Amino acid sequence: MSAQVSYNMATKQVRYEALVKALHGDLFRYAYWLCHDKHVAEDLVQETFLRAWRALDSLKDEKAAKSWLITILRRENARRFERKRFDMSEYDEAAITDTRSTSNEQEIENQWLREKIAQMPEEYREPLVLQVIGGFSGEEIAKLLDLNKNTVMTRLFRARNQLKEALDDEPKARGQYNG
Amino acid sequence: MNPKLEGSTMDDLQFRRRIYADPNTHDEDMLAAMKEDPAKQKFTQELEDLDSRLFKAMNVAVPDDLSNKLILRQTLASHQQQKRKSRVRLGLAASVAFAMGLTFNFMQVSSAYSNLGDYAIAHVNHEKDYFSNLTTENVSLSALNTKMAAFNGTFTADVGKLLFADYCRFDGMKSLHLVFQGQTSTVTVFVVPKNEQLEFSTDFSNEDLIGNSQQFKNSNIIVVGDKNESLQQWQKTIGENVRWSI
Repeated sequence: MSAQVSYNMATKQVRYEALVKALHGDLFRYAYWLCHDKHVAEDLVQETFLRAWRALDSLKDEKAAKSWLITILRRENARRFERKRFDMSEYDEAAITDTRSTSNEQEIENQWLREKIAQMPEEYREPLVLQVIGGFSGEEIAKLLDLNKNTVMTRLFRARNQLKEALDDEPKARGQYNG
Repeated sequence: MNPKLEGSTMDDLQFRRRIYADPNTHDEDMLAAMKEDPAKQKFTQELEDLDSRLFKAMNVAVPDDLSNKLILRQTLASHQQQKRKSRVRLGLAASVAFAMGLTFNFMQVSSAYSNLGDYAIAHVNHEKDYFSNLTTENVSLSALNTKMAAFNGTFTADVGKLLFADYCRFDGMKSLHLVFQGQTSTVTVFVVPKNEQLEFSTDFSNEDLIGNSQQFKNSNIIVVGDKNESLQQWQKTIGENVRWSI
């Protein structure tokens, strides 16, 4: 019996490590766009994976793993709000600086866009992040956020519309940003 | 959700709304509309470009060591959990062992049988499957006497063909358990220290077995066999051949 138990433990460990390796990046980015803080995002991802470990036996379909983890993470994030009453409007600009070696030009645009994304209403930003980073379909996003699909598609439309308009004015806007 | 194929009549505004909502759409009506209208194609291209810029911006760097941290934290957490679990298990095991100890002691001290005879029959019945009258084993007189020494007794001669001799617990008392070849089945002889708890019973029996006890100074000798045995003869032979040093 104990051999069976340790066999199951070993299998569970392998599954867990595979999940971590495959999905921690997307989870981290999603968390980041929920809370705009790398440290909080890291904490959220850690809590999420700890809960995932405990509940791993309930995950039957590996294909559903990403949305399962995102559901856990959203719940964790909601708990964080209950605990701390975090002030979302306080947006820490320094927190989103990126150290990756992209060209200066590209980095300036990324930085500028990140601010625009961060300033968007959360109800627009969240489905957009799920679509662009998570690669989820409209139906999947609707399910994750517990909305109907038409609402999701409308929000995605508005999110891109806002960002496109902002980008079309980019030279002016970037001038302001740099000046 | 997907409107039926409308061919070239797809409304421009509707097309734009849907491309904004999902630039990577694979909906057939959308693909058909793009194919027919270069302006729609160009517009789709613009939105795809927007998405690739959004992706670059959203694709923030993930801390290098995050996946290792996640695995480490889980390993530590489940190790703690294992430790807690094994502590609980150890506690449980200890409780069970303690309860078993109590029960065992209680069984040792308390007699489930009120007299020697009942107990002797129960004991023989309990072990009857271990012994066969046809066994070729033979225990020598000297081996028997080595064991008898614990009861300060000796047999001066064989009292029968001895198949088995060893100490056993006779209702909690260390006793000697002897199995002899009998007429039709084995005959069991117990050498038991005297004990006040069990009432002495000279003759006893059940459906299959009969028994007889003989008192010596410090010990009782109990003979149990089937109804074909002459227990009187067995007791007589034993009585004639056993010597007690005290």
